[in-house]
Amino acid sequence: MNDLESKAARQASVVYIALSLTITLIFLAITLVNGNAYTSVARVGGMIWVFILSMIVFMPIVIPVVKKRIMG
Amino acid sequence: MSETIRNEHLAQVSLPVQGMSCAACVAKVEKTLKTMTGVQEVHVNLLSGKAAVTYESNQAGVPQMVKMIQDIGYEVPEEEVLLTVRGMSCAACVAKVEKAVKGMPGVTSVVVNLPAESAKVKFYPGAVDKTRIKKEIQALGYEVSEKVTGQEALDREKEARQKEFRFQTRNMWIAWPLAMLVMIGMFRDMWIFPYFVPEFLGNVYVLWALTTPIAFIPGWQFFKHSWNGLKRGATDMNLLYATGIGAAYIIATINTFWPDAGFGGRGATFFESAALLTAFIVLGRFMEALTRGRTSEAIRNLMSLQAKTARVIRSGEEVEIAADEVKIGDIVVVRPGESIPVDGEVTEGYSAVDEAMITGESMPVEKRAGSQVTGATINKTGSFKFKATRVGSETALAQIIKMVEDAQASKAPIQKLADFVAGHFIAGVHILALIVFFFWFFIGYGAFFTPTSQFILSPYSLAEVGVFGFALLLSVTTLIISCPCALGLATPSAIMAGTGKGAENGILFKGADAVEASSKLNAVVFDKTGTLTKGEPSVTDVFATEGFDRDDILALAAVTEKPSEHPLGEAIVRGAKGEGLSVGDADDFEAIPGHGVRATYQGQIILLGNRRLMQQQNIDIGNLSEKMEQLEEEGKTAMLMAVDNKAAGIIAVADILKENAKVAVERLQQMGVQVAMITGDNQRTAEAIARQVGIKTVLAEVLPKDKAAEVIKLQEKGLNVAMVGDGINDAPALAQANVGIAIGSGTDVAKETGDIILIKDDIRDVVGAIEIGRATMRKIKQNLVWAFVYNITGIPLAAGILYPFTGFLVSPELASFFMAMSSVSVTINTLLLKRYQPSFRREQVKTSMPPVPQPQTAR
Repeated sequence: MNDLESKAARQASVVYIALSLTITLIFLAITLVNGNAYTSVARVGGMIWVFILSMIVFMPIVIPVVKKRIMG
Repeated sequence: MSETIRNEHLAQVSLPVQGMSCAACVAKVEKTLKTMTGVQEVHVNLLSGKAAVTYESNQAGVPQMVKMIQDIGYEVPEEEVLLTVRGMSCAACVAKVEKAVKGMPGVTSVVVNLPAESAKVKFYPGAVDKTRIKKEIQALGYEVSEKVTGQEALDREKEARQKEFRFQTRNMWIAWPLAMLVMIGMFRDMWIFPYFVPEFLGNVYVLWALTTPIAFIPGWQFFKHSWNGLKRGATDMNLLYATGIGAAYIIATINTFWPDAGFGGRGATFFESAALLTAFIVLGRFMEALTRGRTSEAIRNLMSLQAKTARVIRSGEEVEIAADEVKIGDIVVVRPGESIPVDGEVTEGYSAVDEAMITGESMPVEKRAGSQVTGATINKTGSFKFKATRVGSETALAQIIKMVEDAQASKAPIQKLADFVAGHFIAGVHILALIVFFFWFFIGYGAFFTPTSQFILSPYSLAEVGVFGFALLLSVTTLIISCPCALGLATPSAIMAGTGKGAENGILFKGADAVEASSKLNAVVFDKTGTLTKGEPSVTDVFATEGFDRDDILALAAVTEKPSEHPLGEAIVRGAKGEGLSVGDADDFEAIPGHGVRATYQGQIILLGNRRLMQQQNIDIGNLSEKMEQLEEEGKTAMLMAVDNKAAGIIAVADILKENAKVAVERLQQMGVQVAMITGDNQRTAEAIARQVGIKTVLAEVLPKDKAAEVIKLQEKGLNVAMVGDGINDAPALAQANVGIAIGSGTDVAKETGDIILIKDDIRDVVGAIEIGRATMRKIKQNLVWAFVYNITGIPLAAGILYPFTGFLVSPELASFFMAMSSVSVTINTLLLKRYQPSFRREQVKTSMPPVPQPQTAR
């Protein structure tokens, strides 16, 4: 992996982690405001699962976009 | 890529530029490239023909540079490499490799074929190189090497398949016995199991110990491949499996060791989900390893026919050498039952050779001095010697294999839809899994969950599952059932089978697009001379008046024409000799331009020519005039003959139809295909030939250069036109047609233009090509419908659409079973194409029972 690729990978990771965390926080917010009582395990487990799925969704979208922008 | 980094965006490429001839060209290229935004430096070297460009990679790119160079009249030559890529298992893998390689600067096109395990990459050398392309693919987790041909390819392919087969067999041996134990253990308290299943097998720790090796030994391949892809921004079905297996295993582990963690406790361990899920996925992989590649068996069979050794005459001695050491000009000795090692021309001996493996022709072909022999065909009866004319990659077999391999590495237009869907599928499925999770977590569980809920085909109760476990189960099942593996196999596996079937019958499709286009044909235009007819005139009728004998007329005509070099004269001489008549030499001969010929033979004065010749010589032709008109109506060239000033008879000569032309045309018309004939001949002759063969549309008096224009006219009427003709002379018309079919090319297939090459000179193969095209497309459509129906119905079921009404859910293991079965059923459906035979081949097989092979005349 050359410097350009490393830079692209670093920038991309910031973007997809941020996006995944946003979705995860939205999930957490809904568990807190929708009126149902969730156990902390359900809440944390749900957050982990939502985070994993969000990462899987965003990684293949974000990495090529950032790579293209940086490497041409 | 010769890329030097000076700052974070600065890159350098060295592009080859063709067409520069002087310093002015150099300056022009340099100046043009310098005008591009982002280009810092340009150095063009005239001698090496290269342009070294330093540029800001975020502002300029290789494609733009190439376009600018091309716009000013120079060429940037592309290079092509055919790679073998192993380890791909679905359409998403194909999309993943294509996406990664296409993203490399300097790569212009990538075509990845899943069943052929190949990737054809076109690129600009200097901007990128083969090593870097291979590295990129390797980084995704696949094995990659440059494609080799011949026996080496066969050996490598066999070795790789055996390796994969052994690997998946090992996984099966680990996954299935353990998964069975886990299942028995999980259901130990049910039905009759308590009577014979030991208690310890139901213990959660034992179940965990049995499940763990399943998830991490046979299942490890999915985690490894998905991570390799994910870190480079690419996803494939391994990711679906990995998330599914991972989630099921983690929940089972938490509920085993921390039952109070709130994931459903000991009553919701789902060990059988994790174990059977992995076992079924491994079963799918095992079945793929077993069946994949069988679709290209025709080519492998051809390759395996290549003789390993050859007996050649060296220094007057017969020596045995490796077949690939035979040189052009070597005299090769072949004995009965032996395979012919290379292509050549028979110098002495006589035999019958079985050419079925190359031409599809079931009857052995007679060979004598002067006959051509083809490598890989089998000598049946006698011994002979031949001079090697084509060896190595030049042999007919090597050319055929290359052509079929190229066709199998290409993509049919219909595949675009499947590729598009599969390429976006994985991300789509994960988004769907998120939506399913959100829905069942926030809405569905509260609204619909009942403690009596069960999985379909399972007595297992979901009573103790909490909101998170329930939503997670549905989310995981959705991921598992959505794998587009059947979608990925649907088109290329059928294309491989179809092109292989064509090769078996001497019909070579140059690409997958030719297979698809041939299935859509509704008009076929035949060139007349050499395609519908034999291409050389023959004597068709000999008519003698009273007092003359038919054979005498033919013999005297041959004597008269013998000194002439006219094609009609040659046909008469050939005809007489063919009937065993003696053709002596004329005492004197005179050609009368525009009229005919005059000769003296054994004291007789013989005249042979047209009506004007007879009028000029005051010869009364009586009722011969009527007969002559009738022959001319039939498209024949009739010549009057007079002996000693007395009308003696008529000899008619015509280019005769090939034996199977009529049946082939009839069959095409039965198939709903319009048939037309195109020729440079006059209308009357053309119509006469067309009548004999049953063609109604005649395009006569068309010059060779105008044939393409006639094809365009038919296309403008909305017809999908095939042009059948000589691959060399009719090249423009073949290129213009939707499908160009070059017929009777013999075995030098590489020289031919056209989308389909027919090795045999048998017009029925045109029908065969269309039938194979249609059968292949039928198979593709069946496969695609099956694959789409599976995914379209499977996904809502897995997402729990039936649950609010029935209380039943699809379990992850059932989803993985369906997923495995979808790709296996597509593969089996495709394999049925191996049994397909074109209609004429079926009839040949029927009529040749019991088979009594008779040698045919050599081509």
